[in-house]
Amino acid sequence: MARTGVKRTGWIGRIFFADLLAGLRLTLGYMLSKTVTHHYPDFEKWVPYQRHRGHHFMNTNEKGEVNCVACGLCSTICPCDCITVIPFETDDGDRRPKVFDIDLARCLYCGLCEDACPADAIKLGQEYEVSTTDRSTLKVHLDDLIAAPRKSETGGVVKPAKLDVAGNQHSILQPGTSSGHDWWSRIRRQ
Amino acid sequence: MEYVLSFLPMIVKMAIVIGVLLLLPLPLTWLERKIAAHIQQRPGPMRVGWHGLLQPLADAIKLLTKEDHIPAEADRMLFAIAPVVALVPPFLVFVAIPFGDPIQVFGTTVTLSLADLNVGLLFILAVSGIGVFGTILAGWASNSKYAVLGSLRSIAQMISYEIPMGFSVIGVVMLANSMQLTQIVAAQQGLWNIVVQPIGFFVFFVAGLAEAQRIPFDLPEAEGDLGAGYHTEYSGIRFSLFMLAEYLVLVALAFLNVLLFFGGWLGGPAFLPPFIWLFLKVGFFIWVFMWLRFTFPRYRYDQLMTIGWKVLLPLSLLNILVSGFLML
Repeated sequence: MARTGVKRTGWIGRIFFADLLAGLRLTLGYMLSKTVTHHYPDFEKWVPYQRHRGHHFMNTNEKGEVNCVACGLCSTICPCDCITVIPFETDDGDRRPKVFDIDLARCLYCGLCEDACPADAIKLGQEYEVSTTDRSTLKVHLDDLIAAPRKSETGGVVKPAKLDVAGNQHSILQPGTSSGHDWWSRIRRQ
Repeated sequence: MEYVLSFLPMIVKMAIVIGVLLLLPLPLTWLERKIAAHIQQRPGPMRVGWHGLLQPLADAIKLLTKEDHIPAEADRMLFAIAPVVALVPPFLVFVAIPFGDPIQVFGTTVTLSLADLNVGLLFILAVSGIGVFGTILAGWASNSKYAVLGSLRSIAQMISYEIPMGFSVIGVVMLANSMQLTQIVAAQQGLWNIVVQPIGFFVFFVAGLAEAQRIPFDLPEAEGDLGAGYHTEYSGIRFSLFMLAEYLVLVALAFLNVLLFFGGWLGGPAFLPPFIWLFLKVGFFIWVFMWLRFTFPRYRYDQLMTIGWKVLLPLSLLNILVSGFLML
């Protein structure tokens, strides 16, 4: 905020402190404007844009089977070797993953696995709270990936949430109709 | 028995004033943090109590249970008494501050002040001048370069600004023909002094900011360039005594501004008790001081001296001259 709207007022302005008054008017405006802080993790949570690369999830088809064909392209392209895929053949003759593990502690969330996937199976979602006190839980398996939250229909909004004090101290989005508010709309501009 | 009973209102009043003054910094720190936060578009303390209302309490517990550390090279006795020396003058100022006209309680007349001195204003100016000793002793006893620089600055600042401050109220005293604060307030019946003494108010306000060592005149503590100035070496309860003194000076200053220039408890709406109206005005001034604090940067040392000697002092003298001519 470089410009404060101070006009050159000459010696009369100097005597009556036009510059100081302009500063006071500016800060008063800010004092009366809304705050921009997210009340995270207590009441609000930022839902990132849909392009956000967060916690992975695994897409399933309409029959409930995973889309993954266990081709191993994702584990090959992964720059930090954090994906383990072991294929097997189902009774229908389909190739499916027997093991599909991702080590979130190693993952750098580059999204190359998503790009390489030919079957629209592995995706990176908008979930970003993966903190834990137990490192072994950072190795997520196939069923974790299927159960992981999908991309939400909106992004770039602040939604009501609640801190899960009893559980893993993550901030849980509150179910409800609130579509959240656009954080940028609160930024005061002149 | 009658003789003992006659002291009862005084003791009750003293207990109330001391209790309120000791507890006042708690809401004031909360208010200051909230104002600072909202000016910077933050919400400020939010998690302890409703909108962080219990935050000062948590801070107080933290400060009181902290280690009471005295630096090895410090002058231990001076180090220990400096916070107390800083704390006494603000309390003494409130001895002479009236909070309203005398009221009737159970058939006896109770004056709403501890002592309505007939030289009240002089007493307040004199006592608030002692406050600088706490700063000087703290800076000297700490045996630290930042602390001693802060206290040196504070001496120069206090001496420079006490003079225009004293001169600026002379116009008010001339108008009221008295130094008694109740008389000064009574003389503003109908017309507040701010209307006839705008220059006097301006000088008093600015000099008062400097006396209270608030931004833009907070060179003695200057977090940016002196660590924390004269209380760099203080921690725990001794530091909180300094904070207490600082906030009480602020409140006393707000009271003086209201009593001398904004009609004290006069001029409020009929449904409000006069002392509540006085407290509302004082609250407004406290808010203004905090607003100023988070708006302005700090003046440089030479600018501080220039403002004191070359601007405020001539202005206050001019004010006396003009008021004198107008009264003749």
